Amino acid sequence: MRLYEFEGKQLFRKSNIPVPEGHLVSSPAEAYNTVASLKHAVALKAQVLTGGRGKAGGVKLADGPNEAKTHAEQLFKLKIKGFPVERVLIEPKLDIKQEFYVGVTIDRANYKLVLIASGEGGVDIEETAEKHPEKIVRKSFSVEDELFTFDAVDIAKKIGVPGALLRKAAGIIVNLYKMFKVYDAKLVEINPLVLTAGDELIAADSRVSLDDDAVFRHADLKEMGIEKRHEEGEMTEREKRATEWGIPYLDLDGDIGMFPGGAGFGIMGNDFIHYYGGKPANFMDSGGGPSPERIAKMLVLLDENPNVKTIFGARFGGISRCDDFAKGVIMFLKEHGLSKPMVMRMTGNMWREGVRLFEEAKKEDPSLMEKVEFHGIETPIEEISKRAVELARQQGVK
Amino acid sequence: MAILVDKNSKVMVQGITGGAGKFHTERMLDYGTNIVGGVTPGKGGQAVCDRPVFDTVAECIEHTGADVSVVFLPAAAVKEAAIEAVRAGIKFLVVVPEHIPIHDMLRVREEAVKYKAAVIGGNTAGIITPGEANLGIMPDIAFAPGRVGTVSRSGSITYYVADTLSRTGYGESTCVGLGGDPVLGSTFNEILWMFEEDDKTKAVVLCGEIGGVYEEKATEIIPKMKTPVLAIIGGIFAPPGKRMGHAGAIVEGKMGTAKEKLDMLADSGAHPCKTFKDIPEILKKLGV
Repeated sequence: MRLYEFEGKQLFRKSNIPVPEGHLVSSPAEAYNTVASLKHAVALKAQVLTGGRGKAGGVKLADGPNEAKTHAEQLFKLKIKGFPVERVLIEPKLDIKQEFYVGVTIDRANYKLVLIASGEGGVDIEETAEKHPEKIVRKSFSVEDELFTFDAVDIAKKIGVPGALLRKAAGIIVNLYKMFKVYDAKLVEINPLVLTAGDELIAADSRVSLDDDAVFRHADLKEMGIEKRHEEGEMTEREKRATEWGIPYLDLDGDIGMFPGGAGFGIMGNDFIHYYGGKPANFMDSGGGPSPERIAKMLVLLDENPNVKTIFGARFGGISRCDDFAKGVIMFLKEHGLSKPMVMRMTGNMWREGVRLFEEAKKEDPSLMEKVEFHGIETPIEEISKRAVELARQQGVK
Repeated sequence: MAILVDKNSKVMVQGITGGAGKFHTERMLDYGTNIVGGVTPGKGGQAVCDRPVFDTVAECIEHTGADVSVVFLPAAAVKEAAIEAVRAGIKFLVVVPEHIPIHDMLRVREEAVKYKAAVIGGNTAGIITPGEANLGIMPDIAFAPGRVGTVSRSGSITYYVADTLSRTGYGESTCVGLGGDPVLGSTFNEILWMFEEDDKTKAVVLCGEIGGVYEEKATEIIPKMKTPVLAIIGGIFAPPGKRMGHAGAIVEGKMGTAKEKLDMLADSGAHPCKTFKDIPEILKKLGV
């Protein structure tokens, strides 16, 4: 879960890492009033959950309120990688002498925490690591390890912090490392950590990403207004609806509605459709053990999508049960109705019961399953994928 | 032989008195898995499916000789349960629940390494040695005893691959679900090496997906193996930067795209597959 810069800085402040005095505004008028009361030059920084803000023109400097208002007007019109700018952070313009980089992240392959520091801050650290690995200091820790001040002093010295400021810099590094552990972070970065003309060290920008799965044990985040959020730019109407229903869903630009079971095959099924010459209209995941209601909702999303020409269904029941799956499909067919052809395969946990339910429903109403081509374990999934592509083509011809 | 579990494994269930614990204990027993007991603190003395319930893992081991554990507990309870298990002497742990905090999993991994235990998951469908033991939530219909090992980050992919291997007569020696969470108890590497040392396993199918670093890491070990490795990766056509399903399956910048993973694995000596259908064709060519 990525945090906005101002949220990251709230956590910095709580963790005793110095940050500039910031003011969050949500309109050009507010920007004008804020800067008018400040009486010093400011930086206006667009708050978005993505990188590349500087290059996209998301940071502006202003000497006074009129200039700030003009800049804010531009910023609020901006979209950075699909993210609209809804808030702008106003901070005093810093007189920069030197910029450092300090970050902590997880080395997943080696199960370690890694502290990374560099004397070249303010730039893309991955680029520095690639082109000038000698300018990067790296230290690995086990998740239980403490970072001692003497280690932090050593790191600060290696990245070129002047002697008089070593203890201060080490304190910031230790606090950043502590914050990483306290808040179950995946990434915390101060980039840049600025040394000002007045010899102050201050975190000029923050990049913080927390573990979604650990938010439950940090009640203070909610108090600060930091909650789980959508992190991928603007959602389509369908994506919003799916999110409300708790269904992981993405719109894609094809015409085959993907109705898979399991995240793994949700991902790979999209590949299969491509291999057989088709294009999926979406990605979707049912989650483990979906209820019949959820299954029915998944089908509503696809049936009501005008781009979808045919539906590809796959259910290999593991923790999810085929009888619940069948109940959900039947519920959808009865209550909503299917307006396009669907080819599907169902096997796995409780498949016999699932098949029985379909047969019973068909007996009750022979027209119910008219548009459904039903397969069991005897048909390989590749054949089902191929058939979905074929059906979509036939629909296209009409 | 098989890897990690067989008919002689003495299996305990942590969280055996919970809804999922009970349901799957029954299923695992139906398959013939040798479940000897379970643990739920405070419920010692009870029984589930005629198996005794204990308050601690140590007690369960003392009375039943359990050496393997399957965990069916809420994510927040996994760290404690896993550390309790490996410290008490469990040598192999299957963590079924998903969304386990990453820092917890780092700690679990450290403890497991220290106590020389293997951990799979979180968010794993489990492990099955067909005809002998089924630990977790995998549907038995897909599996048949045989000579190909599988190791996968996704439950549904494990089922489809096993389905393909069973249908074409190869069968499976053991199928291991690494899990779908971002940080896992084991990487492909440890499991691949166990298959390498297993006489019954004549080839291994590695099933990966976009995101994470475990497939890249596997390229360190594949060149050292004599047993052939086949690789299939989900997400070749996934839009970059979009979160698809698994917590782990998000492409981080340039790293972890499915195409790059498959190419790297192929360069390291693995045989790349596009769909499941390619698996038996390649096995045939290799003379497995």
